Amino acid sequence: MLLSVSLTLLEGLVVTLELFALTLLFALPLGLIISFGSMSRCTPLRAVVKTIVWVIRGTPLMLQILVVFYGPGLMFDLPLLPRFTAAVVTFVINYACYFSEIFRGGIQGVPVGQQEAGLVLGMTKRQIFFKVTLLQVVKRIVPPMGNEFITLVKDTALVRTISVYEIIWMGESYIKKGMIWPLFYTAVFYLVVNGILTLLFGWFEKKLDYFK
Amino acid sequence: MKRKLTALALALGLTFSLTACGGGAGGTADTPSSGETTPAESTTPAGSTETTPVNSETPAAESDMAYVKDKGTLIVGMTDFAPMDYKDDSGEWIGFDADMAKAFAESLGVEVEFLEINWDNKLMELDTKGIDVIWNGMTITDEVTEGASVSEAYCNNGQVVVLPAEKAEDYQTVESLSGLNFAVENGSAGAEQLDLLGLTYVAKTTQADALMEVASGASDACVIDLLMAGAMIGEGTSYPELTYTVQLNSEEYGVAFRKGSDLTEAFNSFWKDAYDAGTVMEVATTYGVQESVIEK
Repeated sequence: MLLSVSLTLLEGLVVTLELFALTLLFALPLGLIISFGSMSRCTPLRAVVKTIVWVIRGTPLMLQILVVFYGPGLMFDLPLLPRFTAAVVTFVINYACYFSEIFRGGIQGVPVGQQEAGLVLGMTKRQIFFKVTLLQVVKRIVPPMGNEFITLVKDTALVRTISVYEIIWMGESYIKKGMIWPLFYTAVFYLVVNGILTLLFGWFEKKLDYFK
Repeated sequence: MKRKLTALALALGLTFSLTACGGGAGGTADTPSSGETTPAESTTPAGSTETTPVNSETPAAESDMAYVKDKGTLIVGMTDFAPMDYKDDSGEWIGFDADMAKAFAESLGVEVEFLEINWDNKLMELDTKGIDVIWNGMTITDEVTEGASVSEAYCNNGQVVVLPAEKAEDYQTVESLSGLNFAVENGSAGAEQLDLLGLTYVAKTTQADALMEVASGASDACVIDLLMAGAMIGEGTSYPELTYTVQLNSEEYGVAFRKGSDLTEAFNSFWKDAYDAGTVMEVATTYGVQESVIEK
């Protein structure tokens, strides 16, 4: 029994992890781009980017999932995106906005004096960003990123509203057969994944230790 | 003035962000990774260029059957709901509704595809063509008759009060129910009954969740379908300590198609033929629901 339930839940966990990985793959670069937009010296661009970030961070992720999946069909009578694709799109947009603020904090947290020093030494802006700022940014954003990664693992549970069969859906489906424990058993899987993430982040932070 | 400007800027920003969302959706749509990994995947009527106006009554009537025949699959929206729809040991969907749905799809000459949906979103799924039919022991309520085209009723059902067996004696009449804390599926026929009686309740996502509330002691009682109660509680089931007492109403099951769809008519005549041929009763007897089937 335990084995068959575990196997079914693992099936759901695969979907969960795919969503997790794809979201990171696209949201991290997109987040960096958005963070540049929100620090841009061009005021209209900055305003637009900040408004987008405000809307995305200011509305529930679950609502965004419903809008992306059902919206095209309800409003414009268009064919729907595949369910999993709709889920990935929503998560990428949502997480990119959160990541962008973390990147911005990291970049702006590097003392201005270092940029000035770079300029005095005759480095270009690009050189300063890649050779001086970036590595320090990486070190600074590791702890808040760890938070977001772990939140992301758990947020994937929301996609069951559009019938993407992730691990909680699989766990819940047992309730109808009168078994309650598989739903709570899913916690073990989340804990393992997040445990691994925590260890990875700890190791990574140590690796960056030389940057005091 | 300044405030007005701010408001304008905000409104503009919203518009921009909406277009941004739209663009993003289009862009990532062909992510290679959208792969075959999700069972739900294949449901979208991909590549369908048909522009059937979903909500208007007459034009859709022409094309809904043609649309389904054209793509060659009938997507049945359902949930795991024994004995109507559930999986056998090999993972295939069986049950009274599932077997009849297979027969109906065969009569149309198309493949049947079962898709587990989030029951809360059933009408939205139907409207946006995520599914073609809701066929899952669905009680005919005002909500569904307004939002969809519902077939003639094919099964009788009722809403019953479920509570722990040791308390059952005290709650055999409708009057005795006041003072109990209920759990009920959100927007279900049971919730409607409790509203009518003026009883308060906690709304849950599924009937199974409502049962769990009672089993865990979080709520005193719940209201679920008679057919489901028959299959899920009492001795020999996973909830041996629960029982059902008062039946609050009687109601009927129907099958829902898109508004204005010609499939509703096709279903009604299919069902009549199947009933006359004895298929309906045969299948019903297999799953033990023959008592509830409505005579045609």
